[in-house]
Amino acid sequence: MSANQAGKKPAVISSESVTKPLRSLGEFFAMSLDTFVAMFKLPFPWREFLLQTWFVARVSIVPTLLLAIPFTVLVVFTMNILLVEFGAADFSGTGAATASVTQIGPVVTVLVVAGTGATAMCADLGARAIHDELDALRVLGIDPVRRLAAPRVLAATVVAVSLVSLVTLVGMAGSFFFSVFVQHVTPGAFAGGMTLLTHLPDLILGLVKGALFGMAAALIACYKGISVGGGPQGVGNAVNETVVYSFIALFVINIVATAVYYTGPQ
Amino acid sequence: MSAHDAEHQRLAWLVDATSGVANGWNHVGAQVKFYSETVTEMRTAFGRYGKEIIRLVAQMSLGTGALAVIGGTVVIVGFLTLSTGAVIAVQGYNQLSGIGVEAMTGFVSAYVNVRIISPAVAGVGLAATIGAGATAQLGAMRIAEEIDALEVMAVRSVAYLVSTRVVAGVIVVIPLYCIAVVCAFQAARFGTTGIYGQSTGVYDHYFRTFLNSTDLLWSFFTVITGAVAVMLVHTYYGYNASGGPAGVGRAVGHSVRTSLIVLTLIVLAISLSVHGQSGHFNLSG
Repeated sequence: MSANQAGKKPAVISSESVTKPLRSLGEFFAMSLDTFVAMFKLPFPWREFLLQTWFVARVSIVPTLLLAIPFTVLVVFTMNILLVEFGAADFSGTGAATASVTQIGPVVTVLVVAGTGATAMCADLGARAIHDELDALRVLGIDPVRRLAAPRVLAATVVAVSLVSLVTLVGMAGSFFFSVFVQHVTPGAFAGGMTLLTHLPDLILGLVKGALFGMAAALIACYKGISVGGGPQGVGNAVNETVVYSFIALFVINIVATAVYYTGPQ
Repeated sequence: MSAHDAEHQRLAWLVDATSGVANGWNHVGAQVKFYSETVTEMRTAFGRYGKEIIRLVAQMSLGTGALAVIGGTVVIVGFLTLSTGAVIAVQGYNQLSGIGVEAMTGFVSAYVNVRIISPAVAGVGLAATIGAGATAQLGAMRIAEEIDALEVMAVRSVAYLVSTRVVAGVIVVIPLYCIAVVCAFQAARFGTTGIYGQSTGVYDHYFRTFLNSTDLLWSFFTVITGAVAVMLVHTYYGYNASGGPAGVGRAVGHSVRTSLIVLTLIVLAISLSVHGQSGHFNLSG
């Protein structure tokens, strides 16, 4: 196999190696557009949507809790050290609220949705592609993008938004208990400081980020899963690439959303 | 006999529950056994498979397949920390200027980058690129019965495949983390001084005042510990993959999930034990 490939390899750099990443980027955007169009076509596959929502929620909820609690405790702890040093420990609620609502909530959700939901989706679709099941669907006149990708993307978006709320809530509760019982912050001061810097627009920012993250991760997973090739190693690689690309996409979305929110008119 | 069956039926849920708990417990045992074997086989890996380690280091730092096209692990991890550094500039500067102390953005960069963000993000990057890649490779080998073939040829598969990968991962992470930290610092500095227009002198003054070299060393220690744990978790899931092509995909997903949780717990544990008693501050400047 490798000898065969080496034999075929031309001595000069072919245009293939340059255009291939661009072409897959183009294919990705084409499929994303198809997915968005398919979302508004009736009849929408509600059954698949509900099953996928349940599936993503089921695989994500435990890792979300396991990741959200230590992460918030870590951030709140580091911040409280600083505040205690300044003699401003009463403001720890302010810091905890800002951190959980605008950054930790969305980012932890990202890591979980990309790391568990999207990988499972990609593995599932990839296994179907390997077994020619997607081709069988096409033969039957069923569009895999409309039947499989659109409900998955919508499901991941819905679950991501709900997870952001959960992570924020769990994060706030965790940081409250940690600050009050371990670092001896006054409970009333903690609760009072929460709304000092964080208002409704910040909460909306967090939810919007969550929706964008879930959508991007699911789109990448569906594209990578549907276009998989090359046996077991191919599926493994596709899942690996899903994780890497969705993390990159999510960090880019995070910085863009944060910058737009803070530099735009408030 | 039928009464016995009925008894069985009634207690079926109990049997299911106990076997579920026992399975989970066995799973933990199998992991611990695998990890201790990997660690003890490291000697063999160093002694006999030095060449394989060097090959893996090259492969891991540059990546394979489609990931190599966009620059491999180095570029991906650098990019992730670059973007979090930029978030510090954007959010730190804007929120601090809300209370009139935007001069302290340099301090936020020196403090938060070193203690939380860079170790966590570099670990996430490692898990996503090198770790998940190792799971995919080992899983495919397991499915194609290549690992069994190695065993038949009397090659110690754990030493040859797993211990070498853990060692290579730890070797790769050291220069990788240097790049990650520099990217995070530069992005925060550029965002604050280049885009928001703070004077570089102010930024550098607060940045240098609060940049603590002991913290940086601890941060390195955290990342190296995290790298060992991430590589162990990922190789375990790859080495024990089952269930065909879909099984490899599932193994990659499970390993990413587990290693992210383990990584967060490690960062938390080290942070609490190192900075728990005092803040290690140098407030007088």
